[in-house]
Amino acid sequence: MSETSSEGSDGDRWVFYKDRPDWKDVTPVKQEEGPFPVVSIAYNAKFKDVYDYMRAVLKSNEISERAFHLTKDALELNPANYTVWQYRRLLLKDLNKDLREEFQYVSQLIDEYPKNYQIWHHRMVMVEWMDDPSMELDFLKEALYNDPKNYHAWKHRQWVIKKFNLFENELEYTESLIGDDLRNNSAWNQRYFVVLHTGKLSEPDQIRKEISFALKAILKTTLNESAWNYMRGLLIHTEKGVLEAEVVEFCEKLYASGNKSPHLLGMLIDMAVEGDDPKLDERALQICRELANRYDHVRAKYWNYMETIVKEKIAATKVADQKATNANEAASDVKNN
Amino acid sequence: MAWKSCSHSGRVAVDPIVLDSTRLSIAFFSISGLEVLGALKDINDDNKKSMCNWIYGLQIHPTEDGDGSQCGFQGTDTFVTLENGVATNCNKMFANGHLAMTYTGLASLLILGDDLSRVNKTAVIKGVAALQQEDGSFAATLLGSENDMRFVYCACCICYILQDWSGMDMEKTLSYIRNSFSYDSGFGQGPDLESHGGVTYCAVASLVLMEKLTETLSKKEIEGLRRWAIMRQVSGFQGRANKQEDTCYSFWVGATLKMLDFYEIVNFEENRKYIMSTQCSIMGGFSKVRDVNPDPLHSYLGLCGLSFMGEEGLEQVHPALNISMRAADFLHKLHQSW
Repeated sequence: MSETSSEGSDGDRWVFYKDRPDWKDVTPVKQEEGPFPVVSIAYNAKFKDVYDYMRAVLKSNEISERAFHLTKDALELNPANYTVWQYRRLLLKDLNKDLREEFQYVSQLIDEYPKNYQIWHHRMVMVEWMDDPSMELDFLKEALYNDPKNYHAWKHRQWVIKKFNLFENELEYTESLIGDDLRNNSAWNQRYFVVLHTGKLSEPDQIRKEISFALKAILKTTLNESAWNYMRGLLIHTEKGVLEAEVVEFCEKLYASGNKSPHLLGMLIDMAVEGDDPKLDERALQICRELANRYDHVRAKYWNYMETIVKEKIAATKVADQKATNANEAASDVKNN
Repeated sequence: MAWKSCSHSGRVAVDPIVLDSTRLSIAFFSISGLEVLGALKDINDDNKKSMCNWIYGLQIHPTEDGDGSQCGFQGTDTFVTLENGVATNCNKMFANGHLAMTYTGLASLLILGDDLSRVNKTAVIKGVAALQQEDGSFAATLLGSENDMRFVYCACCICYILQDWSGMDMEKTLSYIRNSFSYDSGFGQGPDLESHGGVTYCAVASLVLMEKLTETLSKKEIEGLRRWAIMRQVSGFQGRANKQEDTCYSFWVGATLKMLDFYEIVNFEENRKYIMSTQCSIMGGFSKVRDVNPDPLHSYLGLCGLSFMGEEGLEQVHPALNISMRAADFLHKLHQSW
């Protein structure tokens, strides 16, 4: 690499800003790192050059096409530099730039850096400025195709759906993603987001429909925590919670078939704790021991803890029963006297 | 020691330029990491003082009319230049505090033994206030930034460290946290978002620092949260259901369990085995998963994850503030003197 130029990633020769005739009028501004820079960064010559000019432009508040191009070079070197992004937004406005082009640019950058906060934020601002979400869902579909669990993409997707009320086809979309990968927790979360915001969780019929959707998925892979959690999330909105008849029946049947998924077994413990059947309490104690010793060994201490919870419940029930018996006896004594 | 080379004499090993804007947080990982290793004492007092001076150099002071909305600490001196012999931000409009940098700056100063006397406390609190959003969350900086649970946590740390909550509408903050409690009993970055280990840490630590944990979540919800967190243990910890384990969650989820008084439930042996398997035998430090390069964040959080299990030779870590217990004790003594 020569002192004054280098090969760009596209094979073009990179010309330092200090060697560019159209920047002759600008004096580069050096960074002051102080006498004792901590975790100092080994900036390369290109970085120093670009940021020397970035500082110069910021210092003089230059609003120009060349400054706009400079922000692109500065961001290419560090797409996480939020100060440069903010300056670029100022330039976009003051130069009245075509925001469609900016969209193309930000889309390319997201392809390249799909987990960069500043780039996603910039995209959100662009959607707001244009007040146009028409490109978003397809773009996000692509991003989620590349990484179905990309938190940034899901966050942006929820934001745009809420802001512009784009719920219409979202349930189907989550279904197709769950079909691709039953263990995609992000897709399950998105499904919950949709059913919650479209009012489905206040209609018992719709909840039942969703419960059967979840139960079908559970049957396919009973070890899939995401589907179990989704189903439990739905139960929050039902009258009986974990004791909902359809779910109790499903779990009992699955258990009878010999299934030992820790999620199923955990559910049976919770059902016992919530319910009032002493036989199920005894079974829950047994299940806690089995989980600890065999089926979920990594969480042995947790299931031992759950065993104490079940025991406490049994003890509390006995006290309550005794109280009720005493009260009944007292009542019948009063009557007999 | 490979660790030391991170902090001053040497250079950061991984993708350094993209860390340029948030250098202060990298300094924090290094300084706090040395502290957890019990090795900070090997840095002499002059060097510690110089580090404090560097951090103070990143403090943004109020404008002449007293407006403090831009105040706090910035993450780097990328836009600092010499003007008439004085280090100055090249454009004051673009010199802004950043909540994560203010938090890691204050934390680093405490670890280095600084008494925070040069912190413009009133201005920092004004800076915090300027960043709270309508929904109760916080943005990182006035320079256009996303707002989410990470910065709620940073704001809570700052208010706690400075013992001044006047810059925060606590009711609003609590409502944001509450609304981010998910159907599976974890917390998302915001309402409707997927439960996540790092975010759950931010939410729970914020509640602990505000002393509002049991007020905000019912007993049953706390049991649900405990289960959600312990379900994240694979051998190490994962951050979300059905995702791969990652060293940093031994801290994020581990600290969450600590704050929920439930850490003894963790399978120490498996957790330790996983963290140690991500240690780099050549450079030192930890990576997120096996056989990739270590980085400052995972190295630091890996150490903290080990410290929770009482690993020999490591200092204890305060789970909510994410600094050593020694530094937290020092802070509490400072509080008494304020």
